[in-house]
Amino acid sequence: MIFGEWKPVEEIVESLADSTEVLLVGCATCVAECAAGGEKEVETLAPLLSMALKKKGSSVEIKTAMLEKQCEYEFVEMLAEQVEKADTLLSLACGIGVQVLAERFPDKRVLPGVNTSALTVREEAGVWASRCAACGDCVLGETHGFCPVARCSKSLMNGPCGGTSKDGKCEVGEEMDCVWNQIVERAEARGELDSLVKIRKTKDWSNTRHGGPKKVVRKELRQ
Amino acid sequence: MTAKAGSNLERVLAEGHFALTVEVGPPRGPDPEEVIKKARLIKGVADAYNVTDNQTAVVRMSSIAASKILVDQGLEPVMQMVCRDRNRIAIQSDLLGAHALGMRNCLCLSGDHQSAGAGGKLQGHPGAKNVFDIDSIQLLSVVKGLRDDAIQEGGDSIDPAAPFFIGAAWTPLGPPEKFRTVRLAKKVDAGADFVQTQAVYDIPRFAEAVKRAEDAGLTERTAILAGIIVPRSAGMLKYMNANVPGIDVPEEMIERMKSASSPKKEGVKVTLELIDAVRNISGIKGVHLQAIEAEGMLPDIIEVAGLLPRP
Amino acid sequence: MNEMTESQNGETRIVVLYCQHSVGNDVDITSCAKSVAGVRVRPAMMPCSSKVQVSHLLSILDKEADGVEVIVCPEGCCELLIGSKRAVKRIEYARGLLDDIGVGPARLGISHGAGLPADEFVKRVAARAEAVMNLEENGENR
Repeated sequence: MIFGEWKPVEEIVESLADSTEVLLVGCATCVAECAAGGEKEVETLAPLLSMALKKKGSSVEIKTAMLEKQCEYEFVEMLAEQVEKADTLLSLACGIGVQVLAERFPDKRVLPGVNTSALTVREEAGVWASRCAACGDCVLGETHGFCPVARCSKSLMNGPCGGTSKDGKCEVGEEMDCVWNQIVERAEARGELDSLVKIRKTKDWSNTRHGGPKKVVRKELRQ
Repeated sequence: MTAKAGSNLERVLAEGHFALTVEVGPPRGPDPEEVIKKARLIKGVADAYNVTDNQTAVVRMSSIAASKILVDQGLEPVMQMVCRDRNRIAIQSDLLGAHALGMRNCLCLSGDHQSAGAGGKLQGHPGAKNVFDIDSIQLLSVVKGLRDDAIQEGGDSIDPAAPFFIGAAWTPLGPPEKFRTVRLAKKVDAGADFVQTQAVYDIPRFAEAVKRAEDAGLTERTAILAGIIVPRSAGMLKYMNANVPGIDVPEEMIERMKSASSPKKEGVKVTLELIDAVRNISGIKGVHLQAIEAEGMLPDIIEVAGLLPRP
Repeated sequence: MNEMTESQNGETRIVVLYCQHSVGNDVDITSCAKSVAGVRVRPAMMPCSSKVQVSHLLSILDKEADGVEVIVCPEGCCELLIGSKRAVKRIEYARGLLDDIGVGPARLGISHGAGLPADEFVKRVAARAEAVMNLEENGENR
């Protein structure tokens, strides 16, 4: 899922300095799956912010709302009545959701409460790990199911650098597996080590933000 | 056979001599005098002088600039280039500039991750965006293209060609070990004329790795120079063994340094023994000697090792 | 029992969330609640401490109480097996959040008990109230 985490609470509190009526809006999809913006998190952050603001002498009221998906215009529409009374929308959705709110309610201050940072899988309860870098040129078929763009700290395409530790960890941190070590082991287990001999040519990064902000039109799907 | 780039290092190897390169670290500041000082200390003791490129992601005078200063002092640099900080456009542009300024050797590296620059007393730039537009093997191909085909990575031509004697790094003892021969093969296929290895302390294991490379025909196609770092203390060896991937130090060696009355002297002895040992490994064509932040030690060591005068 | 209203005469308000098995069946909770001097206590029984939610604890602290004491079964004795373990983790997390905003993690505490007698129950509440009053003295107020 799209992965996000709460911004540091002090940062959120400071961003609310000029607000008086805040509507904290959660999203029940990706950010709920990564325990950052679902109902539970909304109900936890609201009293926390309330206490923090009271301590600063502010009398800001934090109201809450939940949306199924903040990236769908039709769901966001359902907020209209509640939004009227607020001057600030504090969104716990990913950057997409925050912008949909901002687009639909342009005269409200819209603030992000979450930092969106990765595309992840939930490995186990409480553990999320990056899997995809949205590079626009998927090579997973050649790397035995491990993405070297997202999971290699240097996005190397031709094998591990000299930084792999003795336990097969990345030089950047021992909590990170060296994905090229994993690719080699998987290839070996399949008897396909030879598949890694070919020199992989330079990547075309232009099918991503690097080529300009993406906008895709599918004529056959337009109304 | 006509020279590929006409560098001194190339000539020494082509003539069949045991080659010697040493390393010069540029300063954390803009003063050319600091490079000149180091150059004067070690002029004439090696065939070429590696100039690191923001090693460990610590900002230092650029490799190109420091290399130019060496050129002006009459030393031949091996310019190092990492993939961490520059995209393919900047890389090729820098290569053209480097050639114009007299560089003829280029060592192509991935580069330490920028998080390495934040450590000890330094803050570094762990928040920098890393580039890694291309990796070290693709970089080798790019440099080869500029030399052999006068062609840029994207297909446009350059005029004239920009020939470099092309180098790569090799970490033979880094995991996954069995893949390291394949990785070397890829680098050679991509264009590595010479290879400098990660520092060696475990001779038997190193020899095994070189044998595997030899069996794969790689030692004929590329000149492997064994990397040797002069040890200064048991602590230093312990640190490298634990923290530097690909450096494995046998316990006996650490013990030896520990119990020595003068670790510095013992370190020099160890260095001389290592140089001797790698000379006797079939397929090793030279040594890449490093005395970290102690370049002044090099001339004596090189002399006692019987490696002077340089050919 | 309903939420407490505004603090009167600067009384410290404590809410006690206790697992039904942690306090003795014969204990007169209402009477205990009244017997802590200068402290207004609202006791609330939970069928199991696994019911404790971080959002609920924070909401109580935001709107109603100066401190919360949670009493759960000793580890390994939870009827629903892992309830008390979860409760401990959640209180730890909630205390961290309180610390992040500087209102004092000592406002929230957890202790264990099995069939506690009345005086022990009162002791726990009083201890929590004292911890809260110390915070106020040290400026970690709200």
